[in-house]
Amino acid sequence: MNKLFSFIKKRYLIIVPILLLIFVAQIERYSELTSSGTFGAALRLSIPICLAGVGAIYSERCGIVNIGLEGMMVMGTWFGAWAGWFYGPWYGLLAGLLGGALFGLIHAIGTITFQVDHIVSGVAINILAAGVARFLSVVAYADVPAGGATQSPRVDERIDKISIPYLSGGKINQSETADVFRSLEELDLFLISDLFGLLGGLTRNISYFSILAVLLVPISFWILWSTNFGLQLRSVGEYPVGSESVGVNVYLMKYIGVTISGAFAGLAGAYLVIESAGIYREGQTGGRGFIGLAAMIFGNWKPLGTFLGSSLFGYADSLQLRSEESVHGLLIIIVSVLFIVGIRSMINKNLRTGLISLIFSGLFLFWFLNSSTIPNEFVFFTPHITTLIVLSFASQRLRMPKFIGRAYKKGELT
Amino acid sequence: MSFALKVINISKSFPGVLANDKINIEIPSGTIHAIVGENGAGKSTLMKIIYGMISPDSGKISVSEKEKKFSSPKDAIKAGIGMVHQHFMLADNLTVLENVILGIENATLRNINKKKFKNEILEISDKYGMPLNPNTTIDELGVGEKQRVEIIKVLYRGAKILILDEPTAVLVPQEVNELFENLNNLKNQGVTIIFISHKLDEVIEIADGISVMRGGKHVGTVDAKTVSKSELAEMMIGKSLPKIPKRTSLPTNEICLEVSSLSGEKLDSKEPFKDINFILNKGEILGIAGVEGNGQRELTESILGIYPLSQGTITVDGINIDNMATRQRRSLGINFIPEDRQTQGLVMDNSLIENAMLGRQNKDMYKTKFKSVNFKNSRKFSNKIIDQYDVRTPNSSTLALALSGGNQQKFVVGRELEDNPSLLVASQPTRGIDIGAQSLIWEELREARDAGLGVLLISADLEELLGLSDRLLVMYEGKIVKELLPEDATPELLGAYMTGLK
Repeated sequence: MNKLFSFIKKRYLIIVPILLLIFVAQIERYSELTSSGTFGAALRLSIPICLAGVGAIYSERCGIVNIGLEGMMVMGTWFGAWAGWFYGPWYGLLAGLLGGALFGLIHAIGTITFQVDHIVSGVAINILAAGVARFLSVVAYADVPAGGATQSPRVDERIDKISIPYLSGGKINQSETADVFRSLEELDLFLISDLFGLLGGLTRNISYFSILAVLLVPISFWILWSTNFGLQLRSVGEYPVGSESVGVNVYLMKYIGVTISGAFAGLAGAYLVIESAGIYREGQTGGRGFIGLAAMIFGNWKPLGTFLGSSLFGYADSLQLRSEESVHGLLIIIVSVLFIVGIRSMINKNLRTGLISLIFSGLFLFWFLNSSTIPNEFVFFTPHITTLIVLSFASQRLRMPKFIGRAYKKGELT
Repeated sequence: MSFALKVINISKSFPGVLANDKINIEIPSGTIHAIVGENGAGKSTLMKIIYGMISPDSGKISVSEKEKKFSSPKDAIKAGIGMVHQHFMLADNLTVLENVILGIENATLRNINKKKFKNEILEISDKYGMPLNPNTTIDELGVGEKQRVEIIKVLYRGAKILILDEPTAVLVPQEVNELFENLNNLKNQGVTIIFISHKLDEVIEIADGISVMRGGKHVGTVDAKTVSKSELAEMMIGKSLPKIPKRTSLPTNEICLEVSSLSGEKLDSKEPFKDINFILNKGEILGIAGVEGNGQRELTESILGIYPLSQGTITVDGINIDNMATRQRRSLGINFIPEDRQTQGLVMDNSLIENAMLGRQNKDMYKTKFKSVNFKNSRKFSNKIIDQYDVRTPNSSTLALALSGGNQQKFVVGRELEDNPSLLVASQPTRGIDIGAQSLIWEELREARDAGLGVLLISADLEELLGLSDRLLVMYEGKIVKELLPEDATPELLGAYMTGLK
């Protein structure tokens, strides 16, 4: 019991908003806040961001800032769609991965071998990728009726989806089974139906691609924190001179790290095409590469944190897609978080932050009480605003790799 | 007698310099052998050759009587040679364990057997009496502990020959004693230690044999038991050691700088310094001793108006400067020798002419009739510094980065002393420079003091503090814990106050 109490005390900033969320979801018009449909969509929307973010960890942990994620993701979408249309979805996945990795390699050559400033190289990658994608489309889809300069033909096949038998209505030998999670969700009990909404959303109709993507989170954690490869990769981003002095191949580690991050971004792009849209469209990535970077920062350069960060974004995104009404309910959560932060800052004698937080909390409360909907423009913007707010509160306890963003010349051992 | 390491006829030249000229040194196994010499004498080059970081132009190295050829540090490590660098080769965000085992196994995707490594590390740390906790991250450790990790790291790789590059430069006297104890321990267990230093007292205390280098040549090897400090010094610099003579004039009673109840704004939720009070008179050097990171840097910067204060007042020559911006303070004549000449003292990519007016560029003498920059006066000023401070440079148009560290520092000191300062804040004025430049700077500081300047001196070099200061303050964890006169202080006593033992 004591343990539980101290856990709550330590995590109140997360627990209180979640409890509030459940309370608010009891009201009929906000019920979409915790429905299984919302959670399912949230998972699908957060995976591309999560992949990009986890990929970025590989790059940033070896000391290279990868702002070119967006461009690498664009390559993933293009190659994913092209190979997906030509050969089938699994080939699309592979081609997207390779396309992203190729651009990751270009970033690596620029920043490591030629010591270009990481931001400059990353921006160049983004511009280059947009141009290359357009060029390739013009060449590849010239004679294809359904394709064109800005879009590909449809990827007809999809990667198979599964549900868990008996729990979320999966099939055994072609025959339907019970869907326990759904029945429990429909009971409309406080906490129970919300919980099973979450479980159902995460286990019903999940494609193998999604499973692979989610598995990459713990796998990446294991690679980076439990293997020699990971140790060497992380050391290079902290103090490459020291790594070199004990025989670590610094350049190789950096090359591998950046290329892997490109491959992850490419995979994210392929996911957008194969799982979400079924088609490549210009501008399809819509800044998800950058948001992936933000999710990584939110996750303190660690895979699990990055996953949580991207889930948050995916959740907000799915809410605005599914139910504009429910977004209004989010206001009360913003009010409460700001209120808690404000009070905490006041106690810590950080008067300015505290006062600003409390004032904004009041303003949001006023807005919540005096309106029933949120203007459309804001609804569309919810995920970005959420990311912004969360990031600004999270940024205080972050610890980034020490040597990040700096050029390293071999043999500068002094 | 068996020799752990023989260096035979090693030569190495870099463009323009002969860094090592036919060096022959033999080091008996199981001894502590010191290599001494001024900066630029070729010690570091020789060590880098022995450790395989650079390859020699000619000559041979033999380890345990077997000839070896190293093309990278990896080969040297395999041959049983390990090096503890002056700048620690440790990744801050990794644990002790991770740092020690880094690079031992290839970069594969196999699970690291942390338990096994942990036991092995603890075994070594027990055997040599160097306690440490494998699971703490490096940034939680102090300097002495970091050094211990470095030594363990090298031992773990099976080193039988240990090269320590200026290991005492970053330590306070107590930590030095502890290090020496550890080294003697290692020696008794059969490890051969090569100890690079330019501090002669230490070398005589710890070493068995001492090899002296000067100008890239091996001048000779002597027995540490019979040699005297002045003999060593003569071998090392070719003349006798510069001494800090005692002063002849006395401080005045005129107040130059007064700070009262000064506290800095919080940094990482901690005040870097707190409730500082002192008075500095004209014609006085007030030394501040302290282990780095105990608030000295923030204190000096707050006097210059760079670091923000949370409370307290500063008066210079009776004028309250609390609300003045840095530029106004500098135009009052508060001059500053920053601790890092390359990032704070000079603009490395600019010429000496431009650097000469840095910090005083708003003075009328650097403006022409049309308010553009008057380079003529700046050139005159930089030439004056170059002449008077023996700055070795082709001319004043040379870029700052082309100068050696000692000459850069002499230029900075000259600039800050030669335009009639009313107060000088000198932070580490002789860090990392050779003896020649050091004695020149000491001499100039003393002359300026005798002429009536108030100098606030912050230094990590206790000898410098004891020799130059008229009064000493010791800072520990942001507070002044002791005021004492240099006559009453010894390095050991200062060290005790600096580490909070007293």
